[in-house]
Amino acid sequence: MNVATMTTPASHTRPGATADDVVLSAEDVSVRVRGAQTMLLEPVSLALKAGEPLVVIGETGSGKSLLAQALLGTLPSELVASGSLWLDGEQYPLHTPENRRPLWGRRLAVLPQEPWLALDPLMKVIRQVGEAYRLVAGRSAQASHAAARSDLEQLGVAAASEQLPGKLSGGMAQRVAFAAARAGGAPLLIADEPTKGLDAARVSEIGELLLKSLAETPRAGLMVITHDMALAHQIGGRLMVVRRGQVIEQGATRDVLAAPTHAYTRRLVNAAPQAWPEAAFKPAADSASGDGKAAGETIIRAENLTIARGDTTLLRDVELSVKSGEIIGVQGASGCGKSSLGDALLGLLPPHSGRVVQHAERLEYQKLYQDPVATFPPRRTLGRLLKDLSARHRLDDSQLPQLMEQLSLAPELLSRLPGQVSGGELQRFALLRLMLIKPRFVFADEPTSRLDPLVQQEVIACMVKMVREQGTALVLVSHDAALLRKVADRVLVVEEGRLKACQEI
Amino acid sequence: MNQVVEGLAPQRVEAVRRPRLDWPLRRVIGAAMVASLVLLALLGNLVIPGDPLEQHLYRALQGADAVGVSDAGEVITSAPLGYDHLGRSLYHRLVAALGLSLSIAAGAVILAAFSGISLGLLAAGRGGWAERLLSLVADSLLALPGLLLVLMVSVILPSTPLALWLGLSLVLWVEFFRLARATGRSVLASPGVEASRLLGFGAWYRFRHHLWPEMAPVMMTAMAFGMANALMAIAALGFVHVGIPEPTPELGTMMVELLPYWREAPFALLTPVLVTFLLLLGLLLMSGSKARTSTAADTLEGARP
Amino acid sequence: MNLPSRLLQLLMVVLMVGGASYLMMQSLPGDAAWRIAAGRYGYDALDAAAAASVRAELGLEAQGGLHFLYWLGDILRLELGTSLISGESVWVEIRHQLGNSLSLAGAALGISLLIGPPLGLLAGLRAGGWLDRSLLAVCSLLRATPQFLLALVLILLISVEMGLLPAAGHGEPQHFILPAMTLALGLAAVSARLARDAMAAVTQTAFHDFARWKGLSNAQTFWRHGLRHVALPLVTYLGLQFVTLVEGVVVIESIFGWPGIGHALVHAIFSRDVPMVQGTALVLGVGFVLINLLVDLLGRQLDPRGVK
Repeated sequence: MNVATMTTPASHTRPGATADDVVLSAEDVSVRVRGAQTMLLEPVSLALKAGEPLVVIGETGSGKSLLAQALLGTLPSELVASGSLWLDGEQYPLHTPENRRPLWGRRLAVLPQEPWLALDPLMKVIRQVGEAYRLVAGRSAQASHAAARSDLEQLGVAAASEQLPGKLSGGMAQRVAFAAARAGGAPLLIADEPTKGLDAARVSEIGELLLKSLAETPRAGLMVITHDMALAHQIGGRLMVVRRGQVIEQGATRDVLAAPTHAYTRRLVNAAPQAWPEAAFKPAADSASGDGKAAGETIIRAENLTIARGDTTLLRDVELSVKSGEIIGVQGASGCGKSSLGDALLGLLPPHSGRVVQHAERLEYQKLYQDPVATFPPRRTLGRLLKDLSARHRLDDSQLPQLMEQLSLAPELLSRLPGQVSGGELQRFALLRLMLIKPRFVFADEPTSRLDPLVQQEVIACMVKMVREQGTALVLVSHDAALLRKVADRVLVVEEGRLKACQEI
Repeated sequence: MNQVVEGLAPQRVEAVRRPRLDWPLRRVIGAAMVASLVLLALLGNLVIPGDPLEQHLYRALQGADAVGVSDAGEVITSAPLGYDHLGRSLYHRLVAALGLSLSIAAGAVILAAFSGISLGLLAAGRGGWAERLLSLVADSLLALPGLLLVLMVSVILPSTPLALWLGLSLVLWVEFFRLARATGRSVLASPGVEASRLLGFGAWYRFRHHLWPEMAPVMMTAMAFGMANALMAIAALGFVHVGIPEPTPELGTMMVELLPYWREAPFALLTPVLVTFLLLLGLLLMSGSKARTSTAADTLEGARP
Repeated sequence: MNLPSRLLQLLMVVLMVGGASYLMMQSLPGDAAWRIAAGRYGYDALDAAAAASVRAELGLEAQGGLHFLYWLGDILRLELGTSLISGESVWVEIRHQLGNSLSLAGAALGISLLIGPPLGLLAGLRAGGWLDRSLLAVCSLLRATPQFLLALVLILLISVEMGLLPAAGHGEPQHFILPAMTLALGLAAVSARLARDAMAAVTQTAFHDFARWKGLSNAQTFWRHGLRHVALPLVTYLGLQFVTLVEGVVVIESIFGWPGIGHALVHAIFSRDVPMVQGTALVLGVGFVLINLLVDLLGRQLDPRGVK
């Protein structure tokens, strides 16, 4: 990026302030619902030093994004902030969002969540970067175009400059959004969940990108909001942990993550799959269940299977057999055909060639979905849905209370609609629904990728318990290699349209 | 306060935004307006009996006269809203006209909704040739003005009310078809339907609990809107003399008949005008503000894959 | 839609209109001859002999099984026949009326575009504001008013009571105002709502927010990242609106005595002039398909992502 060579018209830094190195500070930032007293974010003060990133971590709904929105002046109109922001010796009261409008692009750059939605789908990539140079930084049309081109080249997305954003992958879109956000010349960057929805490999790329621009820009500041521990670790600098609208711990990122003092931070740190205990999910060698469903019985087998959708072949020559009580991990980038493999195994997609042999009843082959909200009928209570199921198959639901306790689901949830419980609870309900019909085979398609790390850990634990206790055969699909390594007995990787065994487990 | 923060979790917000059959004040007012006019059509002749065709030429364009009881105890035929240019009771003509228009429109909407939804779901479920053929027919009907279709049917069929019923159904089913096909396609491809199928639930269960909750609000809106369109068409045809033939009372015909006398009897002209306007306004209020943007929503959706 | 499916649609429209017209011809009752004779010679001169001569001349009774195919063949060769009433070629009649109708429809469309979308855009930029709410109220009232009723109100108020404009007639510029306004108000109500909804939807998108975060002003954001997204559904919808416009034209022309295609259609229906009905319906249907073909092309210009 050539931000370094740019002059920003709005910059009037005090000459003596460089020693201090604080580029942005905020006092008593709080957020509440307009007209109400309850605080969604309790007062917090912070200072952003040049070259030292600030990382804010917390779960969904913890209030960590509210902090960024309050600073930027982008809160939804029903929320109101108070406190003040100090920038270049000037004070900006936070209760009037309009006063920060002139700062956007010029002093404060914002890196959006889900960048593929933040780029105008009808405008070529290079123009979306160039227009900020032209209209915000005030360069000539030619200079803007040239600057945009060199940005895209440096970020390694020059090939996409003449394309529309719809053709970009998630990682490419984030890099383009990064160039567009910085083009106006703002030295301070606020990134709210910049890696949401990106594959693990892309996450570290984005981290590098943020650190590189921080190092290359003089008097630059960086604030990253995330729930991804790996990203937090990579960014380093200082760390704030937010829970239920309160900052519960702060300090140097490395120190806090290495030795968290608050119990919640400790749980949060341990919830990352990398930190999961090695043996927790593996079966104890001697306690292999002794009943009829003993491990070793093959439940499903794919022979020489080729899977295609329309004219595109997604996977070829798949050989796979899954035994009861076994967990097989399948890893691969998004769009590689992992989900189609599931459809083929479950008989939802006829194989292009080869065959799938199922050794049990049709009903015993089930699936666990990525988005649990979409898998339940929307206007029927969870209790009714479970009754429907047991009535349909004449199931014995006497063990229901016991199962619900095992999955730590409160009985009062039964009277709620699927949309009225949290994502983690609903995913456990989906598990409960499966446990009632005792399937022999379950295909779990990214079942926890939309959940926060803590919730993910709980759901995975429940799932493994089901497998071990009911002797289910499980194929677990995830983009998270660390998670699969901790949970699965074998890990397979989708590469170049083939399913290969992963070497290290 | 902790509860509030937890309450902001995305799942909860989504739950609040889910479309459901709630009735804001606007809809209640609309429904009340429509209901009272339907009641008038149903009961009007029972409350004050009378004949919409009976002429009293000497009373032409006169105002209301009192309801009375004769010596013999019979209720005297009376006209609470006055008389038209041929001395016929406006009240009874209005009641008869409302009844006729409402039953034709309701019949057309019911037939159109039933066939449109079933064909739309068939197209969404089967895909392939069935879908392409049905969509071609629907798209081609869309190319012809509705009034023109109704007019052509009215030439083919001998009875005008029957022609209006069938002609309007022919026009209206297209909208139901398109809506049902669009919703059907997205819902049938959703993980929810797949999950229910894997769990062994039958087609009826999936329709009842997955498809219908998504479709119902849209269809109710489309029905109210279709009803308004049908009523408008019937009156417009009457107004330009190609609708229900004389002397059967009809709202559009009544207006055009009374138009020349509007200086002498403004109230006589105002009556059918007001009734038509209130009926349509009520239906539009009932249908919700999104009415008629449904096709627009389709195109928006199509523009944004 | 792409070109082949538009062509299919065109074919289907022709088939439908041809089929319906054939059925209309088949179902003409015996007294059609009487009606036609009445249309030609006037009711005073009407007698059985006149009716019989009409029947013989037009071959109203000679129908065969293959007749339908000949019928369609005529259409495909663009042989639309002659009017049963005037004896004039249908083509000549339509060409004459179409010009009148197009000028009326064009004027109405122009006025509605000047009123509707700008108001809708302003309302959509501040969804929930006073302009938005009052626009909603006005649009609801307008939509609850059938066009013939609006025409009635305008005639009574402006031409009868105030005597400002002629109620009916054709030829002078002032004759345009009332019918065009009547048509335009209804169209404007719909396009305003549509523009408002589209604009409000665009202001909620992430890319609209991001454009402002980049530092673009509100006006720059609107011109670069708003307008095109609103224009897309608006243009598509205007293509579909053509039918509504035509429907309005049918009613409005009859009321204001405008010698256009709608007026002719109503007359043709009234006197069971099947060739005229068929010719008019064909022109309208084909016109719709062609206009939507143009809309498709324009849409592709606006949205180069390609059609699904």
